[in-house]
Amino acid sequence: MLLSDLLDAPVRDSDGRALGYVVDVRLVLDGPLDGVLAAPRLHGLLVSPRTGTSFLGYERTDENSPALLARWLRHRHRGTFLVLWSDVVRPDHAPGPRDDEQAVTLRGGYHRWDPALPRP
Amino acid sequence: MKKIFAVALGVLTAIGGFVDIGDLVTNAVVGARFGMSLVWVVLVGVVGICLFAQMSGRVAAVSGRATFEIIRERLGPRIGGANLVASFFVTVLTLTAEIGGIALALELASSVERRLWIPFAGLAVWLVLWRVKFSVLENVTGLLGLTLVVFAVALFQLGPDWGELVDQAVRPTVPQGEGVPTYWYYAVALFGAAMTPYEVFFFSSGAREEKWTAKDVSQSRLNVLVGFPLGGLLSVAIAGCAAVVFLPREVDVTSLSQITLPVAMAGGKLLLALAILGIVAATFGAALETALSTGYTLAQFLGWSWGKYRRPAEATRFHTAMLVAVVVGTLVLLTNVDPIAVTEYSVVFSAIALPLTYLPILVVANDREYMGEHVNGRTTNALGLVYLVIIVVASLAAIPLMIATGAGG
Repeated sequence: MLLSDLLDAPVRDSDGRALGYVVDVRLVLDGPLDGVLAAPRLHGLLVSPRTGTSFLGYERTDENSPALLARWLRHRHRGTFLVLWSDVVRPDHAPGPRDDEQAVTLRGGYHRWDPALPRP
Repeated sequence: MKKIFAVALGVLTAIGGFVDIGDLVTNAVVGARFGMSLVWVVLVGVVGICLFAQMSGRVAAVSGRATFEIIRERLGPRIGGANLVASFFVTVLTLTAEIGGIALALELASSVERRLWIPFAGLAVWLVLWRVKFSVLENVTGLLGLTLVVFAVALFQLGPDWGELVDQAVRPTVPQGEGVPTYWYYAVALFGAAMTPYEVFFFSSGAREEKWTAKDVSQSRLNVLVGFPLGGLLSVAIAGCAAVVFLPREVDVTSLSQITLPVAMAGGKLLLALAILGIVAATFGAALETALSTGYTLAQFLGWSWGKYRRPAEATRFHTAMLVAVVVGTLVLLTNVDPIAVTEYSVVFSAIALPLTYLPILVVANDREYMGEHVNGRTTNALGLVYLVIIVVASLAAIPLMIATGAGG
């Protein structure tokens, strides 16, 4: 699977309701050493309810400047949440009609996490 | 002493490096048709490029990331990719115009057909890119470009009616016989000439080439805030010369010989020779910068190793990309297009593409995770938002104005 298979893909819950679009993926570097860095592992997907356009990084932090820009982007992406990769039904296992192949389906009882990253 | 020298060198090369074929042609064309009534746009453009270059230089110095690495990171592969295509196209177009400018200047100096000079100019650009160290190529062309100050000398020698010029500048009106859309079309062109995107790719990647760190931020700010406005004054002098010589005679500027005519009228052969030297240096310097920028943008987006500080064998794809860009620009010119026309289009397309690079830089310059204590202050952000609006409006207005006026008619 490629990153571009996930980005912009529509997201549904287990009942087929549209939840939004994948706007980013979050990786964790906790795998075995691969060269100088630990191998990355896919931690989860960022899902934005209304738009697949870029959030320009304002979802990661509490950064608020320039204020007008931050407010506008937050407004466009209001309700953005993080779902863990373990809550995603792999697209190749997803049930449903074939034209639905591009969509990402979440398990029943998935949890919506806050997309902000804790400050180090 | 060494430090003063470094500061002086930085400022001087910023002045000499400010003017390129886009500024030369657009200012002269505008001066001949609209007098000084569009000088305010140069002012707006110079403040804009100071703001933008200063932000991107600071981001590069502090976070170690050049412009297109940030665009790739913030915009993702798809929008970032569209951004790359647009920016790359504009940069190659500008490179084409600069190589054409070198050939035109050499034609003026030698009376040998420009088409014979074009392959030579392209080859010379590539050889310098291949062989010459970054700091040398930047400083030599920047310092030689300072001879463009002869346009300011010429303006004084021509002995214009200063009151009339100042009056045109501070109370701008659309001259009789010119339409209002044409006035605004040239306003966008002049804005694009002052704020070409490649300057920012080059500036931020150059910060990496010269291995700037947070300590160099104040030096780079000084270079920009002193050098660019003085470079802007050279632009105004070029427009002024054209306004004095061509506006009263109702002659349009369509060739490089016309751009230098006021200098020849005012100071004869010697001044003209200096002007041609300055134009060769300015266009050659800008050709190097744009060619480097094509390599920088592609390599940074695609994650290739890049930089003049690496030997060509260690950055093969970067050097290949630049070679291809230079060859493409040269071939386009050999189709016998008019370099002046290419220039006029390149500055307008620069204005169209500008928001694509400006927005990500503005955002990252505010990110504390990247920038720590060097994030934008309140004043910079206020100005940054004002310019975001100006840049977006100019970008959106450019194509309708181009169609409405038949590209300036």
